[in-house]
Amino acid sequence: MKIYHKIFKKPWPYWVGGIILALLNILMLSITGSAWKVTTGFLFWGAGILEKVGFAPNKWYYFAAYNNGLKDGQSFFMNTYTVINFAVIIGALLAVLWASEFKWKKIKSFRQLGFALLGGILMGYGTRLSFGCNIGAYFSAIPSFSLHGWVFGIFMFVGAAIGCKILYKYLL
Amino acid sequence: MAEYKLDCLFEACPIPLLKALKQLEKMSIGDVLIMHTDHNCSIKNVVEWTKKQGHYIDYIEISEGEWEIYIEKAR
Repeated sequence: MKIYHKIFKKPWPYWVGGIILALLNILMLSITGSAWKVTTGFLFWGAGILEKVGFAPNKWYYFAAYNNGLKDGQSFFMNTYTVINFAVIIGALLAVLWASEFKWKKIKSFRQLGFALLGGILMGYGTRLSFGCNIGAYFSAIPSFSLHGWVFGIFMFVGAAIGCKILYKYLL
Repeated sequence: MAEYKLDCLFEACPIPLLKALKQLEKMSIGDVLIMHTDHNCSIKNVVEWTKKQGHYIDYIEISEGEWEIYIEKAR
């Protein structure tokens, strides 16, 4: 019971999580040839949906100008990003189930819904300008010795600080 | 020794922490704040933050995935 409590119930220290994430990212890089990325997968899902309803996103300048990371035989839906994104969700689900903390959550108010949508759109737009979210453009970029990871990191903290100030002063 | 309740259900980081900080600012020493949350990060970051600020804090899981955090303002 005590071991169960320690492993599944209590939050792990940040440094333990950090080491495990780093090891898993190394494993991922060695197996798939690419470090962990998240939002590029969402971009492909969006593009895949547009393709299904008749648009031709694969002709867009964005996909022509930049290496999109898809290998031969992979499509907008069937690719490594889809697998890892679903794996993250399944892993998180297992963790909350083992801790018996699973709970359906409601949308609290119309206001919360509006801000969530607005925040999601801003984040999605931002990830395309910076070629990744805090995983692809920060967590995976810095160990890849890419300078853009450090730039992303600095401005992520600046943005979070400004965001918290605005939240605290005007929205809460 | 007043008691304040703070409803943080269905809210994610950093909302519960910021709400608690804002409420604590309005309270006087000895007052107790009871936070109701279902965000499991809160039992880590709210607890850590308020401890660092020097307040008394404890929490219990009141049902699956729901917690009550008790903070007594100490300074």
